[in-house]
Amino acid sequence: MREEKSNIELKQLSVGYGQSGRTTIEVLKNVNLSAASGEMVALIGSNGIGKSTLLRSLAGFQPWFAGDITVGGKSLKELTPGETAKLMCFVSTENVRIPNLSVFDMVAYGRFPYTNWIGMLTTEDKFIVSEAIRKVGLTGFENRSVMHISDGERQRTMIARALAQDTPVVVLDEPTAYLDVSNKYEIFHLLRMLAAEKGKTVVLSTHDLNIALREVDKLWLIAPAGNFQGAPEDAVLSGWLNQLFNNDHIGFDINEGEFFFKKEFRKKVKVEGDGLPLIWTLRALNRKGYQIVMQAKPDFTVHAGDHHWRLSYQNLVKDFVSIYELLAFLEADGKE
Amino acid sequence: MIPANRNKTLYNGLIFMMLGILFFIFFTADLLLGSVIIPVSQVFRVLTFSPEAGEVFRTIIMDFRMPKAITAVFTGAALSLSGLQMQTVFRNPLAGPYVLGISAGASLGVALFVLGFSSVAAIGFFSATGAWSLALVAWAGSFLVMMLVLYVSVRVNDIMTLLILGILFTSAVTSVVSILQYFSSESMLKAFIIWTMGSLGSVTKSQLAVMVPATIAGIILAFFKVKDLNAFLLGEDYARSLGVSIKRSRILIFLSTSLLAGTITAFCGPIGFIGIAVPHICRVLFKTANHLVLVPAVILTGSVVMLVSDIISQLPGMQTTLPINSVTALIGIPVIIWMIVKNRKFASV
Repeated sequence: MREEKSNIELKQLSVGYGQSGRTTIEVLKNVNLSAASGEMVALIGSNGIGKSTLLRSLAGFQPWFAGDITVGGKSLKELTPGETAKLMCFVSTENVRIPNLSVFDMVAYGRFPYTNWIGMLTTEDKFIVSEAIRKVGLTGFENRSVMHISDGERQRTMIARALAQDTPVVVLDEPTAYLDVSNKYEIFHLLRMLAAEKGKTVVLSTHDLNIALREVDKLWLIAPAGNFQGAPEDAVLSGWLNQLFNNDHIGFDINEGEFFFKKEFRKKVKVEGDGLPLIWTLRALNRKGYQIVMQAKPDFTVHAGDHHWRLSYQNLVKDFVSIYELLAFLEADGKE
Repeated sequence: MIPANRNKTLYNGLIFMMLGILFFIFFTADLLLGSVIIPVSQVFRVLTFSPEAGEVFRTIIMDFRMPKAITAVFTGAALSLSGLQMQTVFRNPLAGPYVLGISAGASLGVALFVLGFSSVAAIGFFSATGAWSLALVAWAGSFLVMMLVLYVSVRVNDIMTLLILGILFTSAVTSVVSILQYFSSESMLKAFIIWTMGSLGSVTKSQLAVMVPATIAGIILAFFKVKDLNAFLLGEDYARSLGVSIKRSRILIFLSTSLLAGTITAFCGPIGFIGIAVPHICRVLFKTANHLVLVPAVILTGSVVMLVSDIISQLPGMQTTLPINSVTALIGIPVIIWMIVKNRKFASV
């Protein structure tokens, strides 16, 4: 619907929050980030670094201290709330429960900046609302109460509302929180489509790093050492991603492209076999904290076969029919 | 989708029509019934200014029952609308002018006015200027409490906290009033105590001349904010992201609420539970969250409920009348209890 290429820019931005009236706490300063239309951006950072403060400033919920935010070249400072509502919309984590409000009514809220003083929907507004509901795959849910839909459906309703608001920038605060894995992927795909098809800039914060790394076009990464923006892969290769967690327990597996929990390795194990049984046996042993070795002298060897696992342990050989049994034996053995 | 909408409009229209009929019936009944029961034919003669109307009946209807019925209509409309606005802005189903202490705020204003400056007020209480001053102090008192409630609700948005604040405020007002009692004359004290019991019948014509325009102003203001009220349902963050100027909009809504609740409290005393109960009755009746429907709905329903309360309170055929406060409590509280029982997730709304 929108032809012009609009984008969002954060220039020399300094954000924070006021505390007990006068004193203010600056959380982040000198933030320079940008995104083009059609891009999906994930804002990530370690806990307490100021992600939500930045997002709230971005959405216009709280003023910022210095710098500027522009959408399509226009400074948000110079716009009225009504004008901002036509450039940027927001989806929060809040579970909005309103009795007697249908999915259609909720999505129709998106037309709020465009309707007259009593909020009357025109035929065109109704069409846009129905289209938004269809886009998120909720056709048939129009008359359902927002109180009686699942978390995933509610999140899609809120995204449809954002779609109906038809703004060049969509900001979402943890859109995948409280969702199960398949719903998380669905929401990411939906937003991906939104960005690509409609040429919108989608900015979201998330804790689902593993999904975000695979799905988004760009990362806005806030780390104690500074900020990074670029493709997720750039963030990996340049080592920025590792800075996210400045503790010893979480690491980033550069080969797998996933975060993992660092463990102290207990024993060395060598695993033989192939195909899926091998992959999942490795995973199971890794989870339990065994160090997988190829060449070095292992403490024991596991052969993974089809529904069959053979443990060779010094001069002892034992067979198992499940990984669970194998692990249970190893655990019991380890204690002795 | 479209046919469903059309059905909904038809359904709403039907309920509005039924409420309109009830309004007409109870308004007429309120004129007929009382310590003296006046035949319908006489009422019509009086209302059509027919020369055949009896002089006594004319006096009873035009000087007593008509002002009282009009007061009932405006009281019901104003309290219900202010309750709706508070429930929406605070996103709190138990909000209302009485429980949140808004009525108490107005009472404090009135108490300070009546008891504190009794010699001045003694003459002014029933005159036109007195009516305006009384309304003014009540507005100031209720607006002050609204701002206080807002201040707390921004920091702790918890239903219970707000309710406790309302209780505390009401107690504080009671204490201030008992202190004032030591310094005020007996006659003014009596006037104040009677005022706290709440009454629709004591409203004079000069007071009505203030009450009606003030209430209408509050209602008009509410209609102008219908769209913003809908946005407030989603919470402040969403309302802002939809383009509502939160501060300005909230001040205007609070002005309307204070105007409505303050005016009524000034002239009829603190009347409880109508403000909470009527919006819930309307949500059940109309099955909607849209304030474009709810605002006129609570105005009409509130009037009807208040007319019924008034009819009950004057115990038709008997010489005594019940305090209106007890009647509205007996009507309102069951509705609220039913709401709480029906909606067990109440606390999380």
